[in-house]
Amino acid sequence: MSRMHTPEETKAAMHEVVAEMYDRIVKGEPPTMTLPVRTKNNIGFDKKLGVYKYGKKQSIRDATSLGSAKQLLRALHVVEFIEEMLDAGKSSTLREMYYISESWGMGKFGSQNDSNNLAEDLEIVTKCLREDFKLRPEEDGARMIGNLTLRERNRRGEWMRINARDDVGDSGYGVPYNVELEKIELLEHDIDFIMAIETGGMFDRLIENGFDEDYRCGLLHLKGQPARSTRRIMKRMSEEWDLPVVVFLDGDPWSFRIFASIAYGAIKTAHISEYLATPSATYLGITADDIVAYDLPSDDLSKKDIEALNAELSDPRFADSWWQDQINMMLELGKKAEQQSLAKYGLDFVTETYLPEKLAELGLA
Amino acid sequence: MSGIAQKLASNQKQVAISEFFEKNKHFLGFDSLARSLITAVKEAVDNALDACEEARILPTIRIQITKLDPKKDIIKLIVEDNGPGIPQKSIEKVFGQLLFGSRFHAIRQSRGQQGIGITGVVMYCQLTTGRTTHVRSKIATEPTAAIVDIGLDTRKNKATKANAGREMWYNEDGSSKEHGTEITAQMKAKYQKGRQSVWQYLRMTSIVNPHAEIIFIDPDGEKHHWTRVTERLPTKVESIKPHPHGIELGQLQRMVAESNDLNLNHFLLNNFSGVTNRARKELCQAAELEGTRKMKTLKGDDIRNLLEAFQGERLFNGQPAKLLKPPTNCLSPIEEILIKKGLSKTIDSRFVTTLTRVPNVTQGNPFQVEVGLIFGGSMAGDKPVEILRFANRVPLMYQQGGCLLTKAIESVDWRQYGLDQAGGKGVPKGPAAILVHLASTNVQFTSEAKEALADNGEVMEEARKAMLEMGRGLRKHLEKKKKMAKTKEKFELINDILPAIAEKSAQLLNRPVPELSGSITKIMSAVISESTTVWNKETKQTDVDIVLFNYTTRPRAYTILATWPEKAGAKMENNDTGGRKEALGVWAWKLEALQPGERKNITYSLSGLERGDWTDTEILFRGAQDVIGATKMDEKFLQEIRRQEQLLLEDESGGAQSEPTTKESSPEPTPKVAPIAETPPVAAEIVEPAVAPPEGQRTLFGGDV
Repeated sequence: MSRMHTPEETKAAMHEVVAEMYDRIVKGEPPTMTLPVRTKNNIGFDKKLGVYKYGKKQSIRDATSLGSAKQLLRALHVVEFIEEMLDAGKSSTLREMYYISESWGMGKFGSQNDSNNLAEDLEIVTKCLREDFKLRPEEDGARMIGNLTLRERNRRGEWMRINARDDVGDSGYGVPYNVELEKIELLEHDIDFIMAIETGGMFDRLIENGFDEDYRCGLLHLKGQPARSTRRIMKRMSEEWDLPVVVFLDGDPWSFRIFASIAYGAIKTAHISEYLATPSATYLGITADDIVAYDLPSDDLSKKDIEALNAELSDPRFADSWWQDQINMMLELGKKAEQQSLAKYGLDFVTETYLPEKLAELGLA
Repeated sequence: MSGIAQKLASNQKQVAISEFFEKNKHFLGFDSLARSLITAVKEAVDNALDACEEARILPTIRIQITKLDPKKDIIKLIVEDNGPGIPQKSIEKVFGQLLFGSRFHAIRQSRGQQGIGITGVVMYCQLTTGRTTHVRSKIATEPTAAIVDIGLDTRKNKATKANAGREMWYNEDGSSKEHGTEITAQMKAKYQKGRQSVWQYLRMTSIVNPHAEIIFIDPDGEKHHWTRVTERLPTKVESIKPHPHGIELGQLQRMVAESNDLNLNHFLLNNFSGVTNRARKELCQAAELEGTRKMKTLKGDDIRNLLEAFQGERLFNGQPAKLLKPPTNCLSPIEEILIKKGLSKTIDSRFVTTLTRVPNVTQGNPFQVEVGLIFGGSMAGDKPVEILRFANRVPLMYQQGGCLLTKAIESVDWRQYGLDQAGGKGVPKGPAAILVHLASTNVQFTSEAKEALADNGEVMEEARKAMLEMGRGLRKHLEKKKKMAKTKEKFELINDILPAIAEKSAQLLNRPVPELSGSITKIMSAVISESTTVWNKETKQTDVDIVLFNYTTRPRAYTILATWPEKAGAKMENNDTGGRKEALGVWAWKLEALQPGERKNITYSLSGLERGDWTDTEILFRGAQDVIGATKMDEKFLQEIRRQEQLLLEDESGGAQSEPTTKESSPEPTPKVAPIAETPPVAAEIVEPAVAPPEGQRTLFGGDV
């Protein structure tokens, strides 16, 4: 498992990247940066870690085209910027770095996406974490409610003890961007499992209905595709407290992807899958079966939905027979359904009927 | 009197003029309210251009259209020029009679071969509004302008004149006008916008008359200004005698009847182009007529025999009589550079290519095809290209689909040249306009409306060849643009990015900045050429600089070729690299092998051009390795240039020998053809000996009277 690096280790790792470029120029060759291919064709299951990681395919970014050369120059500027932050004890958001790049002349970023991708590239080749680089994401972490207690180091450096049921308002405990040991310690809990929920509406419905207390669980609002810190804290709770994680999402191809990134690792962050993924997580619903079994109000699959489902059929993370069946069934139905479509049977249906039935299948209720 | 004009005029005398108009409105260009206005503008503007051309004045023409009564479609048209003006006593003659210009019969290229000129406009105004046309005209030698209202007595078919007088004529700035003519007419007509509009007619006119300044004020008061982009007036065209291949029976009969020649020998030598002494003998023998026959003794059958000899149906020694081609100095092409300027000033674009083919002959009539293509800029990319058709500098605005020139465009597969075209047929789509100009002594139209050119194999072939060559030019331009963008990127890479990478990485590692040459060669891995073509204000020359870099690891040898406007009379100066002429308008330099990392400059200047005449030099190469920024020499392209050059040379020498009206002598006269015995009088007088131009001026804005 990845761990945080000291500033010196981080600098040394970054200098290896710089040296690759420098040495090539000395040899009279175009400078290069070597990194793994970041597509689904280059991820494989790591049996030891139980998650999907990048394979051996390497791509060489060399300075023979203007675009690649600019990427190399940007990487050097980013390295310089990170060194400055490490030396000054500061941090910045990826977005701030994007704006700071305005002063990098020819090395300035074309878009925010450029700077995000480059930060990930550097993580991958240096095997350091974004946190090592003192770069923060823009997106905020999840909300959490339930009878669990942790302590968080506040801005003044003091530890604060927080119970995510008694010490928070209706919006729950907000997960910060850094959830590493230096920032967060998990203390104690009195729950049986963690339930991750895709939409805010459903999260609030479960809280209003008192589901967390009735079923002794911690509720986590994913806010769509979960941020790194959300996935990280889920993994820590699952491992450190040995709690099962169930995932309750919409019933569509995009939710399948969210689940895959939680359980097996996301393609974009496969270099740190073992650090972010929770292999024991279980997909609770909405399944393709549910659409039929509960006769849920549904929408027709769009062209893009169908494309996504077909892409998932060849995605190694969905290679097992349960997922192949689910995907094929959804394609046959030609339908998708939202979590909140359960309200067809009333506001309490989800907490009184649907979830208990689904949890019972897993032996959790 | 057997001239068509006279016949028409006299036959119509008894008929009411309104009836005449009604019957002939298609022929006259007054068939719809919208077209009537265009025709009126056209007659006035054509006359102004012709008059200025004859008087060698650079034309400035102002056209103003005002809606007087929108409900009744009554329009006021004012056309003012700076032509030589018309003396007072001639004004009514210019307008009053149903006249046909002498040029109707002259064999030369001229604008006004259609309609009945400005008289028709006066007539139309009178018939539709009952109003006279106000004329103001001033000649340079008189202090004041003559003014008069001209109308028509429809019963007597004669001009009426009222309010004649003289007045001072001031320009807008208060100065007094030197010379010029202005008409103010009121007519029933409709002003429209779009492809068939006064605006479009003037725009097209401006393209093919880059020497003219045209100002148009439309009914909304908006001012459209097409500026003058050259001081060069069109070359004066010579009239030529008819060529036997282009003669019809009626015309031959008339010529025989009206001949004052001593005998048939003289008749043939004096009245036709392309007839040498030898051809004269061959024609007589083929027609089985004695050359000494008096003209008066030639009967119907004799004339028919003569015609058949003309047309090669009667043979001499089993062969048609050998005739020379007619001379082509009767044509006035616009020329490539001026078409380019005309197009550029009118249409915003990124690329213009133009081509003037060598004159050719069809059925005894000389003709010449010119084409232009303008691409990019603000033109719409998803619409059919705009087609700009011209015959003898006159815009053709109607019946586009049925026109030979359109068919020539449609016959080309434009997809291979970078334009969209469904199935490789039809009018292509893309951000482009295609211009086609046919200059000819005898333009054949599909109908009396004179808006579409009739099919003709030879003209079609010439137009098609011109399109293909132009298309190649477009394709090269597009390829070059792509390559140049790539080259520019590579230069940015090695000049800016790579040094920055070297510097930053050295600084981060705290090591010395490494040497870059090895990396640069690997990154570029190509031979690159760059060229600039710029106008030098001080020397009044166009300076060309070509640079060749070898960014490969091996020595490279090339022959570099460059295009230059030799046809337009440019001279090459300060060409220190030497080289040699490869073909017309193509110069070549064979270079010593360039070592890796080495560069070579070729510089020269072009004199004899105006600013803006030549702005883009095409660089070509012969050699194994590709050169970025240059095009590999297409030997077929070179062959075509050489073929055209050959034709041009033949034409010059041939024309000088056979055609006594040619004023310049050929530099290398070929003595093969014996000079003919007598020098005939000037061509223009011979063409229609008995049909002297009617007394007075034939057009509104004409010159001397």
